[in-house]
Amino acid sequence: MKIGVLVLEGPYQHQAADSAYHFVQAALARGHEITGIFLYTDGVNNANGYIKPPGERNIAERFSELAAQGIDVVACTACARFRGFRRDMVAENVRLGGLGALADYLRGADRFVTFGD
Amino acid sequence: MSEPVAVLMRKAPYGSVYTAEGFRSTMGIGVFEMDLSVVFVDDGVYALVKGQNPAGLDMKPLGDGFPMLPDFGVSKFYVHDQSLSERGLKADDLVMDVEIIDDAGVARVLESCGIVLPF
Repeated sequence: MKIGVLVLEGPYQHQAADSAYHFVQAALARGHEITGIFLYTDGVNNANGYIKPPGERNIAERFSELAAQGIDVVACTACARFRGFRRDMVAENVRLGGLGALADYLRGADRFVTFGD
Repeated sequence: MSEPVAVLMRKAPYGSVYTAEGFRSTMGIGVFEMDLSVVFVDDGVYALVKGQNPAGLDMKPLGDGFPMLPDFGVSKFYVHDQSLSERGLKADDLVMDVEIIDDAGVARVLESCGIVLPF
């Protein structure tokens, strides 16, 4: 099955970003395809490459890893601007993009799952 | 043919970013000619009320934007009747013509859309 993912919450404050990561891992393990992960609103903060949590899971690295596996992970450009992101801050393999990416993930998906508040 | 998409507006227009982003994503996705419905329930119905003036919050009125969405290819708007009546609102209080639907209508619209984006 083709599954698209939307993340509306940032790292560490709530579980949404963690749940999204674990969901994608589980879906891949069962042979499903991820059409893309769109990081929207505070969700763009999950793509901050400067995240360095002492002794804890690195949420930005997790999304980097997923992107390195060939999954399209896009953080909303406009939301990033609203949150003071510069291009050089974006975690490796993640890219900034517009709502067209979200539209693509929606169109390509049999199921679409939102993680947020 | 891709699944029809419903954008579900659940929250008050100010106090959180959800309604504003629900609006922006509707506009942003709408231009890609997708089959898109916008459904307003609970405090989400306040987004369509006429005469919003959030200047005291240093924000722009969100209600002005929705009537422009048909220009972006979005033409299906549904409002939950009980959410309106519980808030003392009527169809005349809204910034645009919408289809007023009951519980079963909301269920029907959401069921007919393979994808629901909750805001």
